[in-house]
Amino acid sequence: MHSISDGVKNVLVVDDDLTNRLVLCALLKDSGFSTLEAANGEEAVQAVEDNHIDIILMDVMMPGMDGYDATKIIKNRQTRFIPVIFLTAMTDEQSLVRCIDSGGDDFLTKPYSHVLLNSKINSMLRIAELYQNIEEKNKQISEKNFQMQQEMNITSKLFEKLSKNDMRGDKTGLKYSMTPMSMFNGDLILTEKNQTSGLDILVGDFTGHGLSAAIGAIPVSDIFHSMTKKCFSYNDLLKEANTKLMDLLPTQMFMACVFLNVDRINNIISIINLGLPDVYLYRNNKIFRTFKSKNIPLGITNILSSQLEVEMETLEFGDRLYVATDGIMEAYSVSGEMFGLDRLLKIMQENTQSEKLFDTILSEVCSFSKGAEQGDDITLLELCHLQNVEYEHENQFLNEHREANNWSMELSMDIKSLRQFDVLPYLMQAINNLQPLESGRTSVHTVLTELFSNALDHGILKLDSSLKSTPQGYMDFYQEKHNRLESFEDGNIQVTLRHELSDSGEGGRLSLFMSDSGEGFNHKAADLTNKNAYSGRGIKLISSLCTEIKILGKGNSVMAYYDWGDMMSDNVSQT
Amino acid sequence: MGISINVSGDNKTATIKINGRFDFSLHNIFRKSYKDVVLQSGQYVVDLAGTDYLDSSALGMLLLLKEHADSQTSTVILSGYSDEIKEILTIASFDKIFTLG
Repeated sequence: MHSISDGVKNVLVVDDDLTNRLVLCALLKDSGFSTLEAANGEEAVQAVEDNHIDIILMDVMMPGMDGYDATKIIKNRQTRFIPVIFLTAMTDEQSLVRCIDSGGDDFLTKPYSHVLLNSKINSMLRIAELYQNIEEKNKQISEKNFQMQQEMNITSKLFEKLSKNDMRGDKTGLKYSMTPMSMFNGDLILTEKNQTSGLDILVGDFTGHGLSAAIGAIPVSDIFHSMTKKCFSYNDLLKEANTKLMDLLPTQMFMACVFLNVDRINNIISIINLGLPDVYLYRNNKIFRTFKSKNIPLGITNILSSQLEVEMETLEFGDRLYVATDGIMEAYSVSGEMFGLDRLLKIMQENTQSEKLFDTILSEVCSFSKGAEQGDDITLLELCHLQNVEYEHENQFLNEHREANNWSMELSMDIKSLRQFDVLPYLMQAINNLQPLESGRTSVHTVLTELFSNALDHGILKLDSSLKSTPQGYMDFYQEKHNRLESFEDGNIQVTLRHELSDSGEGGRLSLFMSDSGEGFNHKAADLTNKNAYSGRGIKLISSLCTEIKILGKGNSVMAYYDWGDMMSDNVSQT
Repeated sequence: MGISINVSGDNKTATIKINGRFDFSLHNIFRKSYKDVVLQSGQYVVDLAGTDYLDSSALGMLLLLKEHADSQTSTVILSGYSDEIKEILTIASFDKIFTLG
């Protein structure tokens, strides 16, 4: 019947009667406790201040301060739990209730059984030990909490800096709302003004929340801001971000995202949806077009490769584009029901004032999930295509004030070079640096990419693009491309780029010539407007972006002309 | 409840059944279920017939399973899913990474 822990427990015996104290102390020592004595309330309070006491046996009636008051003071001052057992000759209910009311933990009426006293002490000590454990754990938790809070503050500041070019505003047409589940979230919105005075926007949703989700946001933000400024194509930007996230994130983490590029010169929006819910284009109070996810989110696989599925649409003024992360659809009500797609679509269909739709969606989700615990981050973005835009933040394009000029370059690569060197970004950089195309950078990039992949994939590697129409085929296509690129012995691609200024110097023509050593195809028989005639979406897309396109020779050479500035209007007036 | 795994006698097929919500709360138990399973050029079948819902962390867990399967030159087949779950898988283009059975 010894104390519970290894240490000897210290019992304070409070009684004004010396004999009582001596008897009790002798008994306690027999049971293995060490003892301290106090003859009244004041002494008891002082003894607790001066010593480490584990438990107190308290008499009630004493001269000076009585047991009740002493207990009240001790319990008030001590943050530690020190059990107090009253030993009293009084047996009336009132007095016993007062023992507990003044802060006592138990009582025993005199004359008491020694065995009973011993077990009460042991029981109280057990409880005290429990308290102490909990207290220690609480302390650890609050220390950890504090640390976490500090870290969150730092990361939160970091996040603010990441989204430094916040382009929201009435004059930019951009609105968004982010409701994080924890202090900072797995959702990310990045914006930059592009060369056409439109916006490049990335809406991202990392798996997970908080710090772990934020880890990926830093490099993505870096890549986004620096590469948009350097006028890289979104293809390159997303590939770079993918590579970085592949390196950085653990297998189970990835970022679903939507990339938007608004070309305000041509009023065209390009949308790449990599794993986010449908993006809606809203026109005349109706959903005009839905852009579904057609790409694998970033950070999952290296086969993301060169072929991102990009969708384009011509914009009218007043069009509104909506991007949401899955938090809206997955918002829960108190009864555990999910908000779901149907509710969202219903709001969009029933809405009659497009300028209020954004707020309506948010308030509907909010009132739906009122009182329920928020599951996922709720992020909603609206981009309205305004006739006139003004931005507070201005991008410093690296080649903004460069003058147009005449130049040409020619490059020829054999299969070994093609295997070792991804030439596209360098060609694009060359175009960027030599030719300050005010509007058509993205278009030129797209044309060059398409021409190049046609030459490589179909001309040289003889891959069949219809493979890509089935899911498994999509994987097979890139696997096969990789295999063939490694194993083929022959092949050559020749690229010629030429830029000529118009007479006024206010425009020009960029000619892109791409020729491969492949067998070509019977282009005279093929219908160029038919998607499947030549390499899938390629030719149709190129035709829509270029002034003119010619397929030459046996179908293994292509000449594409891209006109800009007054050269473009010359051509329009001719037709 | 949660997760059960059944490995065929020839060590070619391991079937993982997931019941109820497939979300982060199953993280450990899901990983544990296949951790010690070794297949040789076999297939892991994830049976989602009893799965009500699947969130993005579940997608992450499937990627972990794929990594495990890849290291044993095995494949992962997702099967039995409802239309809602198929939608989630399709949005993330998981049909391009996994075999949907």
